[in-house]
Amino acid sequence: MTLAHRALFTWFIVLVFLILLCLRLDPRTTWNWFVTFTPLWFFDCILIIYVLIKFIRKWRNLNRLTDLLSLYKWNIVGVWLTITSQVMICITLEYPQQIPIYVTMAPLMLLLCTAIVYVGGKLRKREGWLH
Amino acid sequence: MFKLSELVRWLGLTEFEILVNLCGLLVFTISLAFKISGTLNNVLPEVMCDWFSIFSPLFFIDICNAYFCVIVGIRMYLDSDNKRKALHRFMWSTYFLVLIAIFKYLLCLKLSGKTGLEYSEVFSPIFVLLQLVAVRACQLPNSI
Repeated sequence: MTLAHRALFTWFIVLVFLILLCLRLDPRTTWNWFVTFTPLWFFDCILIIYVLIKFIRKWRNLNRLTDLLSLYKWNIVGVWLTITSQVMICITLEYPQQIPIYVTMAPLMLLLCTAIVYVGGKLRKREGWLH
Repeated sequence: MFKLSELVRWLGLTEFEILVNLCGLLVFTISLAFKISGTLNNVLPEVMCDWFSIFSPLFFIDICNAYFCVIVGIRMYLDSDNKRKALHRFMWSTYFLVLIAIFKYLLCLKLSGKTGLEYSEVFSPIFVLLQLVAVRACQLPNSI
């Protein structure tokens, strides 16, 4: 898939999710929060398939699994934390007061920290920060 | 799904702006957790009651990004031969920041109960922004 296709696909998923979110937040529907998050689950499935395909294509050239895991560590951690964050948010919204808010927010905070480290690392490498 | 360079190309944000946004979001998430749990209600009652205080990290990053965009815009306009490109970039950043800021402001008002707007109206700046993002996606070259 080219960048334009991926961008439009992501855009469509976000659009559908926002429409469902608006419908759920306004008291028009009483859907389960897991149903409201359906577009994001679909996107996660595509994301997992995408990472798996990348994984398998690289598998032929690398012998050791550790090499492969270290090569795609950011992808794996990112996908795993994204899905965990969404599940925790859904559970908290569906069953309020059952889980402490810090437990709900922990995967999201970890995801943001990981993203900051990743983007910061890229910037540092490019701009030569802290050298 | 996307490399960082692809996101930069699609959304028209620089890596630095993305980093600032991520830092602001992290601070906002922490303050939101404090607000919902009510841990700091006794220590900082006024701050914890007001949704605008909770959203202040997000408004702060908007101001930082606006400052950054103005500086980049001026430097691009003065240094580059292609003035049109500099103006185009400045206009896109302005649309982006203004629409996001309006959305946050409306959301704050809604959560504070100071307005009778529905959530679909609160989200309208985001829908407008999504249309602009879609246009940018369509302008991306098909060869990448």
